[in-house]
Amino acid sequence: MGETIEITNCIRKLRFFADEMTQQQLAEKAGISRQTIVAIEGGKYNPSLELAFRIAHAFNVPIGEVFQYRMIEKKKNGSKKGETP
Amino acid sequence: MTYQISRTITRILTGAVLLTVYLFQVYNRYQAGILSMDKIQSLAQLMLLFLGIGIVVTIAVEIVFHILFSIGVAMKETIKKEGDCDDKEIGRTIKQEMVEDEMAKLIDLKSLKIGYAISSIGFVSSLISLALGHPVFITVNILFVSLFIAGILEGFARIYYYKRGI
Repeated sequence: MGETIEITNCIRKLRFFADEMTQQQLAEKAGISRQTIVAIEGGKYNPSLELAFRIAHAFNVPIGEVFQYRMIEKKKNGSKKGETP
Repeated sequence: MTYQISRTITRILTGAVLLTVYLFQVYNRYQAGILSMDKIQSLAQLMLLFLGIGIVVTIAVEIVFHILFSIGVAMKETIKKEGDCDDKEIGRTIKQEMVEDEMAKLIDLKSLKIGYAISSIGFVSSLISLALGHPVFITVNILFVSLFIAGILEGFARIYYYKRGI
């Protein structure tokens, strides 16, 4: 048995509330490519702490409002049990 | 298709074309008797020639790709904004498309690792062929071709990481 961390984000929701900000606009604000925004939003890439702060700064919200985590307990049979902080 | 993926596909195609042309040249020269198992000097000259050609072709293709990509982005922007966008804005969009961020760097590193592993396998294979008593001609060719294949597979790995994520 071991624990892994699952990082989720609310970028889509935050973009919606920021006047339906486009991925391109967010990418420009954070200084990254649109492809990276697509990957982060889809949970395919976990950004570095610096980039996570830059994204939070682009929305003008604390980092915790953009990214969340939960500990997942891995059982021997491969099933996962989540625990949100 | 994004800038990184289009660029990688262009590189894969360039590598594949160069590899095919090289193999054709070796085969034709071998059939014509210009190259043979004991004519390593001619093979080395051909390889050096192909290295030179490879560098020139890669640079030329990169330049053409960047020009075409920039034109494509400019056209897309013009159509999107119905002709109401200035050169500065188009320039900014092109720059934004070509930005190399931390994800691109990480994918670069990971795919380079794969390319390095494949070229290492090629090196070991060439040593094995030498140990088995095959001519140096075969050994050197395995080494050279494995470098091309490593480059191509590195490109595929890059596309895989861009599509699937890291």
